[in-house]
Amino acid sequence: MSINIAILVSGRGSNLEAILRAIKDGDLQAKAQVVISNNPEALALHIARKYGVHAVAIASKGLSRQEHERLVLEELSQFDIDFVVLAGYMRILSPRFLQRFRDERGFFRVINIHPSLLPAFPGVSGYDDAFQAGVTVSGVTVHLADEKVDHGPILAQESFPRMENDTLDTFKARGLAVEHRIYPDVLAKIAGGGLADLIKSPNGHAGGTHKEQSVLCLAVLPRAGFRQDKNLVEFPLYWIQADEPGQSLADDPKFLETLADILTDPLIEDLRCALPGQRGEWVKDWALAGFRWWAERQFLPGVTDNLAHTVQEALELTGLPASIKVASGTGFLLPDSASFAGLDDVAQRLRYRYFHPLTDRVLVHDLTQDKPAQERFLSFPAVHLPEPKPVEIMALDVSDAELMSLSRDRTLALNLGEMKAIRAHFDQGNVREKRQVRGLPPWPTDVELEVIAQTWSEHCKHKIFNARIKHTDLSKPEALQKTSINSLYKTFVQAATKKLSSERTDLLSVFVDNAGVVQWDDEWSVCFKVETHNSPSALEPYGGALTGILGVNRDILGTGLGAKPICNTDIFCFAYPSADLVERPSMLPTEAIIQGVRRGVQDGGNKSGIPTVNGAVFFHDGYRAKPLVFCGTVGLLPLAVSGKSGYQKHTRPGDIVVMAGGRIGKDGIHGATFSSEALHEGSPVSAVQIGDPFTQKRLADFVLEARDQGLMTGITDNGAGGLSSSVGEMAELTGGATIELNNIPLKYPGLADYEIVISESQERMTLATTDFASLQELADKHHVEITAIGEFNSSGYFEVTRDGKPVAMLDLSFLHGGVPVLELASVWKGAGQDASDIPPAGDLEETLLALLSHPNISSRETVIRQYDHEVQGASVVKQLMGPAQQAPCDAAVIKPILGEVGAIALSNGLCPQLSAYDCYLMAVCAVDEAVRNAVCVGADPASLALLDNFCWPDPVPSERNADAQTKLAQLVRACEGLFDAVLAYQAPLISGKDSMKNDFDDGVVRISIPPTLLVSAIGRVHDAEHAITMEFKSPGDLIYIACAGDSGLAGTTIAAMQGWESGLLPSLDLTGAARLYNLVHTAIKNGWIESCHDVSDGGLGVAVAECAIGSGLGAELHAQKVMESVRREQSGSDEATTVDQRLDLALFSEGPGRLVISVKPDHKKKLAEHFSGTRLIEIGNVTQRASLLIVHGKDHAPDDISVDRLTRAWKARLPFDDDGIRS
Amino acid sequence: MKKPRALVLCGDGINCDGETAWALEAAGFEPARLHTTSFLDNPETLSQIQLLVIPGGFSFGDEIASGKILALKIKRKMRDALTAFIGKGGLVIGICNGFQVLVQMGLLPFSEPGAPRVVSLTRNAEGRFVNRWVELDVKPSNRSPFFASLSRIHLPIRHGEGRLAVGNAQDTNAAAEVSRHAALHYVEDVNGSHEKIAALTNTKGNVLGLMPHPEAFVRWSQHPAWASWSRQSAAHGSGLSRHPQFPDGPPDGLVILKNARKAVD
Repeated sequence: MSINIAILVSGRGSNLEAILRAIKDGDLQAKAQVVISNNPEALALHIARKYGVHAVAIASKGLSRQEHERLVLEELSQFDIDFVVLAGYMRILSPRFLQRFRDERGFFRVINIHPSLLPAFPGVSGYDDAFQAGVTVSGVTVHLADEKVDHGPILAQESFPRMENDTLDTFKARGLAVEHRIYPDVLAKIAGGGLADLIKSPNGHAGGTHKEQSVLCLAVLPRAGFRQDKNLVEFPLYWIQADEPGQSLADDPKFLETLADILTDPLIEDLRCALPGQRGEWVKDWALAGFRWWAERQFLPGVTDNLAHTVQEALELTGLPASIKVASGTGFLLPDSASFAGLDDVAQRLRYRYFHPLTDRVLVHDLTQDKPAQERFLSFPAVHLPEPKPVEIMALDVSDAELMSLSRDRTLALNLGEMKAIRAHFDQGNVREKRQVRGLPPWPTDVELEVIAQTWSEHCKHKIFNARIKHTDLSKPEALQKTSINSLYKTFVQAATKKLSSERTDLLSVFVDNAGVVQWDDEWSVCFKVETHNSPSALEPYGGALTGILGVNRDILGTGLGAKPICNTDIFCFAYPSADLVERPSMLPTEAIIQGVRRGVQDGGNKSGIPTVNGAVFFHDGYRAKPLVFCGTVGLLPLAVSGKSGYQKHTRPGDIVVMAGGRIGKDGIHGATFSSEALHEGSPVSAVQIGDPFTQKRLADFVLEARDQGLMTGITDNGAGGLSSSVGEMAELTGGATIELNNIPLKYPGLADYEIVISESQERMTLATTDFASLQELADKHHVEITAIGEFNSSGYFEVTRDGKPVAMLDLSFLHGGVPVLELASVWKGAGQDASDIPPAGDLEETLLALLSHPNISSRETVIRQYDHEVQGASVVKQLMGPAQQAPCDAAVIKPILGEVGAIALSNGLCPQLSAYDCYLMAVCAVDEAVRNAVCVGADPASLALLDNFCWPDPVPSERNADAQTKLAQLVRACEGLFDAVLAYQAPLISGKDSMKNDFDDGVVRISIPPTLLVSAIGRVHDAEHAITMEFKSPGDLIYIACAGDSGLAGTTIAAMQGWESGLLPSLDLTGAARLYNLVHTAIKNGWIESCHDVSDGGLGVAVAECAIGSGLGAELHAQKVMESVRREQSGSDEATTVDQRLDLALFSEGPGRLVISVKPDHKKKLAEHFSGTRLIEIGNVTQRASLLIVHGKDHAPDDISVDRLTRAWKARLPFDDDGIRS
Repeated sequence: MKKPRALVLCGDGINCDGETAWALEAAGFEPARLHTTSFLDNPETLSQIQLLVIPGGFSFGDEIASGKILALKIKRKMRDALTAFIGKGGLVIGICNGFQVLVQMGLLPFSEPGAPRVVSLTRNAEGRFVNRWVELDVKPSNRSPFFASLSRIHLPIRHGEGRLAVGNAQDTNAAAEVSRHAALHYVEDVNGSHEKIAALTNTKGNVLGLMPHPEAFVRWSQHPAWASWSRQSAAHGSGLSRHPQFPDGPPDGLVILKNARKAVD
């Protein structure tokens, strides 16, 4: 076998030459793909070229380590490199670099040679140091690199003597001769037999052999007729490892029988078992069966493997020892007909749909080739971690540049001001004294610095929303242009709710807990929260979305004393797949993101037993910078728990800190700080996680029962920042907490102390209890692991100890209040209104059909059907209603308490298409849409409670972010719009979230998302049976449009579809809209309205079409009335006049504040009186004939479009509709 | 009169236990939810109940195969007690994941001790999870008490592995036996099930496994067309035909559970 190598050099390159010569002479079966030097002058570059090897200089001078490594990795990524060989490379490689070459056993495929017998004399001058020390024997070491310098598993060592009359030069020359011999030798051995035999384990055995024999590989093959896809046979693989050396699993028939019983369905599947040496047999059989390609996938070591956990639990149920370890994977057999170009092509086309390089390892075999060597099969993916680093002291008395490189290298995402504030804190005499007493060094430990960084992250502390902003509004008269805003959050978000709070006595807990809580009745309250999970979803969409859902579910579970999640809502913003930037390899293809996110939401909701009742998908090319994944959950919380208020926490000093649920691993380290940065090549892979909904379901069952038994005094979830945030925040309740690291259960050994404290490993809650024994008993019943890890106290500190000795002691007031206030500036230049001529109208039918199949409008049925939206039995209005189950409803309605009449409506509003014009309008429209959608199904506008979720491009200026002031101005405008709309609708905000770094930046290209505000609403439908749906009900019913706003053309679907530029902005009369919605609500309550639908994307034309599609009935519309409905009182511009004189523009212009209503003719008079003073225009009637008929007048034939055609257009394929591998 | 007692299993990833218990109460039972761990630790519980329900959900995350590990767990501790309960005429309903558990335990269609397992519930032919309402025909010859007075019914399905497969399709005898034990057929083919079978009972008719969710149709406003029907003078358009019982009779799911209630007497 031949290996592909890349050689990194800095100098003369004598080892390089030795390797290249060995290759040339045929002594080493390898191909040198590339030689890279960090020194452009290096002689080694010439040597490489002499041997005809591609040689590249990537100068490191003037670049940060991270930046330089990024460039080197970019170069390397062009080749399929098996090993990186260091030949006198004078740079230290970062863990991030090494991670890119991690193999399935956790070793890094990076080889180094060092001129001493390691561990003696590491460092840059091995020969000198050994010589000076007067050794009589020295030597040369070839080893695998790890995170430490000149350290890692040793592959070969050879000694040479020091002669009596040696000078340093003669000593060195003798060593070099050894180097030049053993380096090619070791590489040749690797090429010949793999790494396994070379790695020495601590007890002296070669690493691989005996372990391999105890690994059994199993394939569960579906019988013919039960294979899903003719182009691909996909089936589970398992690796079972016995812990006892020499234990041969394959020889125990009873064990094999048990395995077969657990892993296969004897009626439809067959089990094949093989020891490593027998794997070739499978390949032979599959080749004979006519398959061309065989691929095997498994998770990288340490990645959450839910299937394996279940198998393991099943094995334990059957009485087998827990020491037997299981890993799962997938096998793929592909026929030749799938026409793949080669191994790489197979891997390429399986990628993202069937595996993700960040979480999985895949090997592909060509079955027409000779029997593959044993090491070409995957074996057990054991986690192999080097000894964890001991706690380090972070001396901060260094230059500004060094402070910043410390922040960058550790992914702290802290700016210079913040680093200095930390330095100033630790530099205080009284702080030093207190630390000395507890045996801590004056400067912070790495644990402390990491905890501060997590706590102070943008993600946790919302620094931008709390910044002092100098705002300049150039659209105002000069004297009024300059204002200063002290915290957008306090000025707009919190203030709006405060102004409404005297009217709203149902607001029990707003902005303080994991979710906002409102009172529901005398016994219950409901809570609501929407989170974003954008950055994780950009990297690994399935895990990103799954952990997003599970995370917001835990927010609910951690609200008050623990709420029960009763429904989910999920909103996605994606780029169109056509917007992929192929030249940016670090970005995932959009289609892969879309499909991964959808699968994640499916598993997250379905497996947790929480219905996904509502959602939205919005496409805009701007989201190629980052997809937005909003996950929301409503929870139900008792008002009183064991005599105490359920919506508050009651933790007291002396209560025990309990960690419940999953264990801690390396997964999800630096999630909070990572989401507080732009995405870049070096984004840590450890930020990727896969959730485990089953473990969390057990955890949730346990928590809710513990709550009802009164066993908890407080609870919160472990999300961003892990224990550092959950315990750090709960510590504020009592004024202090201490946790002991020795007590914390880990998934595997090898975590540094700081990693344990900040790891975001999933499915964990932090609880406070006074009765651990009872809690433990309950946890055993639910099969949930819980551990007492510390105690709440009133010391004033968050303290972390190891063996009772503190490794962190942070003053809570500094931790939570010490972050410096950010100072920012914003400049608003006024709403952009560029316009071009609108071309003449095209064919009306064609336009309407094209709009209906537009991805922002078309049916979401394929998505919705894969979400369980009815579990828990509370459903009243689903996403798709009507006799044909295809009426797309505006909001969900569920009964929070089965058997009671009241119901909750849940809706969303999102209008980022207007952000390019004016974010004030964008925000107003988002609030309006959420409110209007809720009103459409029957919610009482007086009962609404809102959430705000801002997703913004970074508004903090930097070298790479020149227009930050504009982005901040857009944020100010959006907050102003939100404030005005919230007050006009008297719908308070109860919780919210911001994600402020939604940019992609790889050092070359920087792109940003459109500023996006999601507004989510919950409201009360007093009687669920009075809820109404959007589909037309009966022929003869009259169709009205009710308006409180003017439609426009800017940002509309039709303008985007046709490529028009229009400056005609929609507008909204907020007061009028608030009045209109109240009238609509009364009319619905009185039973005067048959159907009600919001007019949104695609305008009135699409809205009416949807009402027809949903009902299977038709509609007759009068063109004149339709045009009248969009007439502006003050037209203002030519464009405005065009809209009300052209039927197509009248039908497809878009704007807030409009509803399509159908009404029984009997109610016509009553309705006219009821709505007097508002714009309510009768535009047509519902017909039995299933057709959309638009009547123009005498001299013009009507447009007549069958509902069947409308339906077919509307059910167009979405990028979601994934049918597996396409050949 | 004392209400008959129904035991609803919960825990280990079961997730329809809440509404199932609620629906049973509406049907006249006194339901109790019990965690599988507590249930398995106390087999004598079976002697105090009239109906055992294994509700829907994703037990053990649906890993390996739906219902497989929960079946394994119950089988190891309870197989004999359960067989005895069934033998004495106790009612058992497995809904969705619960049906999968009953099949994995080998209790359907033959619940006698030592009877062979002849069916599986495997991945839907389309390979996807699906949540939609379907029309179902009650097999007239089925003698189980659960479907008395019903002929065509509406219920939602919510499953990814509901395709009923007969182990040995060549064995015409087995296929015929399976057909004989069918209780519900989908009107349209929704998942590739053998003969569009949606539910099976045992020979005696006291064990029922069904993929559709009866507990999800115990009030009319759970039906996707309820808002249309309640505002229409007559049926219009296409799709699920207007339900003859609407709005005064009990919805189909409730009828099934009430039938179970009657069967106890």
